[in-house]
Amino acid sequence: MTMTQPTIEDANAAALGARDVVKARRKASRTRFTASFRQNRSGMLGLTILLIFIAVAIAAFFIPASSLDVTQVTADPFLPPSLQWPLGTDDSGRSVLLLVAKGAQISLLVGFAATMLSMFIGTSVGIVSGHYRGMTGGVLDRFTDWFLVIPYLPLAIVLATVLGRSLLNIIIVIGVTSWPGTARLIRAQTLSVTARPYLERSKALGAGNLHQMWKHVLPNVMPLVLANTTLAVSISILSETTLSFLGLGDPTAISWGSILEQGFAAGAISQGAWWYLAAPGICVVLTVLAFNLIGRAIEDILDPRQETA
Amino acid sequence: MRRLSQRARIVSMAGAVSVLAAVLVPGMAQADSASPSSSTPRSVFTIGVLQDMDSANPFTGITSAAYEVFQMEYPTLVEYGAKDFAAVPGIADSWTEAPDHSSWTFKIHPGLKWSDGQPMTAKDVAYTYNRILNGKYEQTNFGSYVSAITKAEAPDDTTVILHTNSASPIVPHPGVYIIPEHIWKSIDEKAVVSFKNEGTPDAPSVAGGPYYMIERKVGQFIRMQANPYFWRGKPAVDEIDFKLFKNGDAMAQALKKGEIDFAEGLETNVYNSLKNQPNITTVAAAPASFNELSFNTGAALDDGTPIGDGNPLLKDKKLRAALAHAIDKQAMVDKILGGDGVPGDTLMPPRYSQWHVAPTNPMSYDPAKAKELLDAAGYKVGSDGIRADAQGNRLSFRLLGRTDSSTSQKAVQFIKGYLAAVGVETTVKFVSEDNLTEIIGQGKFDMFEWGWGVEPDPNYMLNVFTCANRSYKQDGAILANLSDSFYCNPAYDALNAKQQVETDLAKRQAITGQMQQMLYDDAPYIITYFYDGHEAYRSDRFTGLVHQPEPDGPLTFQWGTWTYEQMKPVTATDAGGTTNNSSGGSSVPWLPIIGGLIVAGGAGFLLARRRPANAASDDRE
Repeated sequence: MTMTQPTIEDANAAALGARDVVKARRKASRTRFTASFRQNRSGMLGLTILLIFIAVAIAAFFIPASSLDVTQVTADPFLPPSLQWPLGTDDSGRSVLLLVAKGAQISLLVGFAATMLSMFIGTSVGIVSGHYRGMTGGVLDRFTDWFLVIPYLPLAIVLATVLGRSLLNIIIVIGVTSWPGTARLIRAQTLSVTARPYLERSKALGAGNLHQMWKHVLPNVMPLVLANTTLAVSISILSETTLSFLGLGDPTAISWGSILEQGFAAGAISQGAWWYLAAPGICVVLTVLAFNLIGRAIEDILDPRQETA
Repeated sequence: MRRLSQRARIVSMAGAVSVLAAVLVPGMAQADSASPSSSTPRSVFTIGVLQDMDSANPFTGITSAAYEVFQMEYPTLVEYGAKDFAAVPGIADSWTEAPDHSSWTFKIHPGLKWSDGQPMTAKDVAYTYNRILNGKYEQTNFGSYVSAITKAEAPDDTTVILHTNSASPIVPHPGVYIIPEHIWKSIDEKAVVSFKNEGTPDAPSVAGGPYYMIERKVGQFIRMQANPYFWRGKPAVDEIDFKLFKNGDAMAQALKKGEIDFAEGLETNVYNSLKNQPNITTVAAAPASFNELSFNTGAALDDGTPIGDGNPLLKDKKLRAALAHAIDKQAMVDKILGGDGVPGDTLMPPRYSQWHVAPTNPMSYDPAKAKELLDAAGYKVGSDGIRADAQGNRLSFRLLGRTDSSTSQKAVQFIKGYLAAVGVETTVKFVSEDNLTEIIGQGKFDMFEWGWGVEPDPNYMLNVFTCANRSYKQDGAILANLSDSFYCNPAYDALNAKQQVETDLAKRQAITGQMQQMLYDDAPYIITYFYDGHEAYRSDRFTGLVHQPEPDGPLTFQWGTWTYEQMKPVTATDAGGTTNNSSGGSSVPWLPIIGGLIVAGGAGFLLARRRPANAASDDRE
């Protein structure tokens, strides 16, 4: 596929207003993006896996609470997989299949929510620090550097310990510890966008800082944010799993990480109950893989250099 | 008596790091200050534990691990015998009561020494007793033993006279740890609150028991060195280390691989996997500990001033007793303990058959009855399915579990489920045991799940529920005492005063039985279960471990130090060469390894993927 520059010519149907031009251009680019994505096989594979997990997470709303209530289940603990219990049972006799399905909700929720938070912080800091060159930019940039060099896991563990164990806290912890990479990326892109002639023109026409950042820089870094988001979700899900496994997640919420933790604590290894640990583990791997495939595909499409190669 | 939690897991930052650090501290067993200059190799007995000591100060510590260390360090006048808990001489050779019940005279073994070589005499004993009698903070752990004592004096180095105001079955009893006056006299009643009392390699703790502390790293290990001056003779094993694990599986693997020699507090699943392993002997001790659901029955200071923010609905004993019918204790025994325990009823575990009483009105599992009782008590089901009293106050409570214990996390899930089934809502929160102690002391809770290891004599355990043992105020700060339910009942206190001075066994049994029944009816606790003590050790390396009581009691965490004093390293033909890596083959933990690889691979994949994204962004235009 060859790269076609967004066609100003599209708008040459004269009488169209500026907004319509933008709309038309964005629509065209969306269509182009969708078409390219469809042709990207690994991207489609990732999307399929992801949609399956989302479907499972939605279906999990219909699991009756009684079948996950330890006081109401009747099966024996640590039953190996069978027709009745497709993924076996846990140490309290609950179906691991249902646990994993329920876990998809929290894992995906935390993955998305933490990524949103991380993206919001990262993008804001990145754009502002790229736009303001003086003190503000410098300070923000050093601040990013500082966060970047702090080892991630210890920081997350300390934060999670201080804040306490809850779902919201785990989202906050992952969000505030995983933004600096994004900020760096966005800052670099902002610098390159700011150097473009049309921004100079807009400045000359009297555009304020906010206008420049909001109307010109942000739309231009958005594709990058999008690609980065999909990759960041997988990191967030891994982080949630890690923190929950270390016992720092919300102990009352069922997530893949907390299932792993419970299995580990309940002696699933001594018991040889591989299904108890393998099921949530494989779910994590598949989801992370799905997001990476999608992210990779988006990157391929949006990155002109890779595309022409 | 000890606040006890088996299977603690360390979840804090320190805990997570400790796992690494424990691996990275190979010098732990070597770096040593005062090693004996004997020709035999230094023997170290390493015990894997899941719970840390909360404090090395005997006036502060309350966890089982802390008490285990205290009794290794500090002697008592009289001890609980290994065979059947009968009283046997400690540092006192004999003890006699004055005919008019006005005093007890203890003859102290002559020529005793502390671990620093200073003489240990009757003066230290008198000092310890007087310190407890005159202290408030010091009474928290030891007050129940001295209730009948008015004054202690030491007319000479081998005689202690404890003046009493009445006859008492408690006085001639173990319980008060004798501390060295020459160390503790410089720690006044204010300093003692924050005194750590941790031994270091340069300044080991000064002890009179079989071992003294030479090093402690919180959340990692405790090292105890044999006391050369121990009065029953220096123990055969030079060093005993307590090594903390955050996971029972990991501890079992360490035992199989020979990193540790003894594993304590094993969960049933893990314990079962150690049965019939070569070189490993397992012990399932009949229960001497219980876990309970405790209620805030109206937190107040010892003078009656209300404190905390407990839900006032729980002051209603009808409500608490109704909830006792809602909980299926047998199911909890089966599913949490894997059947290795018995459903709970009254305070004293069945192991102490002398003191255990069966309730006259067993509150068995019967949700229908629970609902009926709740209805009768005026708690009707509201439109949201949750009960409320006539004023509309909903039965919605905070329920605290312990992060340190996987059984606690499971038990709390069960309790929440059972209470929900009868229309009572609970909001679960997990806190560390350290925090929980603090929260309880301030009365800022509704319910929590914890447990006690119970002393063979019921006095201490019964004292936990007296009005006087509620929290108290000192210098404007609220300090926790033993009471964790804030139960206060003058009738109970009166009976307690009676049992403390009743020397006739049958009569005392009757009184303590009545008290236990009273607690059962008023339900400040719902005792969920008594659980077996699971232990396993390397019988190819150590021998002569002692059960207390014979024949099936625990080998460690006893009421005494019998195992530590009497066990010996196995002296095979080549003592050095037998590093047992034998039984590891079949049980390599493949799953976590594979799991770890998968996660690591995933992470690596991510990092690898991120790089091109970064690189590409530089020159995008």
